[in-house]
Amino acid sequence: MTTITPAREAPPLVPGRERARRRRRGSLWLYPLLILGLLFVVTPFAWMLLGAFKTTAELRQVPPTWFPVNPTFENFTNLFDRLNFLRYFFNSAVVAAGVTAGNLLFGSMLGYALAKLHFRGKRVLFALVLGTLMVPGIVTFMPLFVLVANLGLVNTHLGLILPFVAGAFGVFLMRQFIMGIPDELLDAARVDGAGEYYIFFRIIMPLSTVPLATLGILTFLGSWNSFLWPLVVASTEDMYTLPVAIALFATGAQTTNLGLLLAGAVIVVLPVLVVFILLQRYFAQGIAMTGIKG
Amino acid sequence: MGGTTAKAVGTAGAASTAGRSRRRDELVAWSFALPFLLFFLVFMAGPIVVALVTSFTDLRVTDLRNPLSVDFVALENYVAVLGDQQFQKAAANTAVFVLFGIPLAMTLGLLAAVGLNQGIVKFRTVFRVGYYLPAVTSIVAIAVIWRLLLGSESGLVNGLLAGLGIDGPGWLTDERFALWSLIVMAAWRSLGFLMVIFLAGLQAIPQDLYEAAEVDGATRWQRFRSITLPLLRPTLLFGAVITSIGYLQFFEEPFVMTQGGPLDATLSIAMHAYNQFSFGNYGFTAALSYILFVAIALLTLFQFRLFRSE
Amino acid sequence: MLNSSVMMRRLAIPVLAMLILVACGRSADSSGEGDGSQPAAESMGPATGEIQVWAMGAEGENLGVLADDFMAEFPDVTVVVTPVPWDAAHDRLVNAIAGGEVPDVSLIGTTWMGEFANLGGLDPTPSSVDPADFFEGAWNTTVVDGTSYGVPWYVETRLLYYRTDLAEAAGVTEPPANWDELKAMAQAIKDAGADYGISLQPGGTGAWQTFMPFFWQAGGEILDDGGSFTLDGEACVEALTYYDSYFEEGLSPTAATDTPVEGLFANGDVGSFISGPWMIAVVTDAGTDPATFTVAHQPTEASGTSFVGGGNMAVFADSDNKPAAWAFVEYLTRPEVQVKWFETVKDLPAVQSAWDDPALTDDEMLAAFGEQLSDAKAPPAVPNWEQVAAEIDSAIEQVTVGDMSPEDGCAAMQEQATSIGTGL
Repeated sequence: MTTITPAREAPPLVPGRERARRRRRGSLWLYPLLILGLLFVVTPFAWMLLGAFKTTAELRQVPPTWFPVNPTFENFTNLFDRLNFLRYFFNSAVVAAGVTAGNLLFGSMLGYALAKLHFRGKRVLFALVLGTLMVPGIVTFMPLFVLVANLGLVNTHLGLILPFVAGAFGVFLMRQFIMGIPDELLDAARVDGAGEYYIFFRIIMPLSTVPLATLGILTFLGSWNSFLWPLVVASTEDMYTLPVAIALFATGAQTTNLGLLLAGAVIVVLPVLVVFILLQRYFAQGIAMTGIKG
Repeated sequence: MGGTTAKAVGTAGAASTAGRSRRRDELVAWSFALPFLLFFLVFMAGPIVVALVTSFTDLRVTDLRNPLSVDFVALENYVAVLGDQQFQKAAANTAVFVLFGIPLAMTLGLLAAVGLNQGIVKFRTVFRVGYYLPAVTSIVAIAVIWRLLLGSESGLVNGLLAGLGIDGPGWLTDERFALWSLIVMAAWRSLGFLMVIFLAGLQAIPQDLYEAAEVDGATRWQRFRSITLPLLRPTLLFGAVITSIGYLQFFEEPFVMTQGGPLDATLSIAMHAYNQFSFGNYGFTAALSYILFVAIALLTLFQFRLFRSE
Repeated sequence: MLNSSVMMRRLAIPVLAMLILVACGRSADSSGEGDGSQPAAESMGPATGEIQVWAMGAEGENLGVLADDFMAEFPDVTVVVTPVPWDAAHDRLVNAIAGGEVPDVSLIGTTWMGEFANLGGLDPTPSSVDPADFFEGAWNTTVVDGTSYGVPWYVETRLLYYRTDLAEAAGVTEPPANWDELKAMAQAIKDAGADYGISLQPGGTGAWQTFMPFFWQAGGEILDDGGSFTLDGEACVEALTYYDSYFEEGLSPTAATDTPVEGLFANGDVGSFISGPWMIAVVTDAGTDPATFTVAHQPTEASGTSFVGGGNMAVFADSDNKPAAWAFVEYLTRPEVQVKWFETVKDLPAVQSAWDDPALTDDEMLAAFGEQLSDAKAPPAVPNWEQVAAEIDSAIEQVTVGDMSPEDGCAAMQEQATSIGTGL
């Protein structure tokens, strides 16, 4: 088992300053390459943003233009006036919030039990839960659909939320983190007569803000971007989530309305980008946490 | 659950108290596990079992009103899936997607990570955030954008190629290019995720190893081969496993961009399964998706061997 | 076989418990499926209460107009219209029926009737509806295994659109009467400078709708009297060879372009195509001068048959307000309501007498559609049609884009269709 160790200061073989200078000089040539890579990655986004302000006629133009010749907001007004995008936005947000809340609570509870409490079958249970990470969504798809239909939850927010409130990833992440919390801390509280629930809510949870934030963001994103399940469960337009709406317009009725599609993509992508840029350090931490341990 | 105290009968009072308290501890522990397990059993474990049983029946959508009328058909669905030409095509496509897409994405991700780890200080965050952007974006939105980027006449890619005097092909409408276009797009999407994982792995490698090697006169490439790669093994494994699980299930890209065409050149296993689900062939769909499950498990196992050996 | 079936029943009981939950709830009232009993609407009782109606596309967005009229006449009924996009509609309806979460009434694509009726999802049409009111080809789309499950609401059929100016410049002054003339026209328009003489769908979803008319024109039938597929006969090979020749000879593009066909048609890159009535408006909006194009009857060989599609209105077996549901459906088929609907969204009336209205008779192009409707066929209303159609689409693409021969293409259609079966 490898454990995460932050890049620590190595005992100096070369005097520190000298070393730093050498490394910096040595890496200057990397910038052009990194910038080239960045262009490759970011260009599609830039093109989407610019394209959302073009007319469909301009988007069809050969050769393509970079900057909109006649910038227009029409694509966006159409999205909200004609296509009810506000409603899809709302649905996406409600579903993502519900799924996230469930994962945070249930995942950290089980994570705590797996990390710090003793009960029989613990290892088997953890292996089973983790194993489901390998199960493709399409496997559970049909039975899940029939089940949700039988519960009368087709085309409801609950039907979109409930099947995903117990995710294996959350359990894994929270268990990994909580294992790192010193036992002495918990034992001290137990000696003082604290029950496990008190310990969980008053000690574990406050100490776990970073992994909780990571898990929250990742889960919210996953749900916000999820597609296959809402595609089938949201049967009428008023229950569509954003990706479903975009995909269906892109393959169907609006397939030729390129400006509208790009504007729709902007609406899906932009909030995520803003949230990501604001909270990006949690992403890196969370991924590092899952990636290195284990 | 419980039951651990059975042997405590008739022993001293202290032991029995300990037993009772241990049983109480168990109950408390289970109470923490219960909410998760409830949803997990109903919405995950249950459906997995039902799907397995379904894969041995001829269940169709028409039987849902009376599921007891279905017949047990043993392995017939599996035989049918394996003999299905579209499945063979989809399996081949998925294999190509994984076999070429994963190494491509891993290489790009590793290059970015190694680059950023070479003492890049200025704009480090800009690079990191920039490279990571596609990974947080909805695949559906990305597919919409790329569909336009790769358009045969007015797409940006062919527009740029035209500037170089090259007449670009129909990237998504030409059978020879469609799958490769999706592979490049997938690599573009996952390189940032892999970069972040690899960066964390790189930073965990003790700096003094490099310095010692430098003193011994090792070249950059030698240091990379004999220090970075071996020590990065677990991280590479993790990245490969997670990415492969996703790649084996690729679905949104063909759904939005090509509908599996042209000539089924981009039909994936997951998309084929979805189509069969739409046609109401539930038994067939279940068998198909279990085959995919087995493929994922096998690939994961293989990767563990590949990266853990030595 | 029998043994394994008994075994399955044992096995199924514990494991499929989840599936059964709903099935039990519904098995009691599923008696209405497929027994051919067709009570008259008026015997069901008065129309009151609320009904949920699903409709797709422009129909869904505008149906409220007719619903308002209906509610004015039947003040005791409330009609709630929910728009559903076309592209998702098929899967959605399947899931709704399977899940028991159905509306009372829905617009249903004509080619889906067999599947949905077979699912037990649709209510048989009451005897008060007279089949003779409708175009025969359209009515047949409602009939599954001898029982009608809904009424045709609007129809569409496929005609040849062509640029008269390009055709004349290429020396073609009359609409092509048969296959040779159609081919000659496409060749002439191409020779006169257009990129392509015609745009036929090379494959992909719905290609069969363009191809099947040629199959019928060559004298083909999809099913024989015994209900077996007959896709590999002489007619298929003849039609597919002819269809493929347009691609082989470069008269029709083999891949979709960024510009949709109406744009290519408007700027003269493509001289003709085959499509339905909605394209009149689309082509005009794309900038084609209405004076420079027209529509023509399908070419005639053994017949001049086209494809008839459109939408049917059906009531669901699980509806709990069938009297009001059927009252609404029957209201929609009144000739004057059909005309009003035509004026609202330009959907062509399925009721023949509506075509006597000046709104339709005055328009030359529409009249051409009216004429073609009396020689138009729909594929058989069998449950597995959509799946068979997907295989036909795929075989067409293998031939036009890939390197399969027409003979092998037809054999592949037949083999796949036979292994899928009609589902009846």
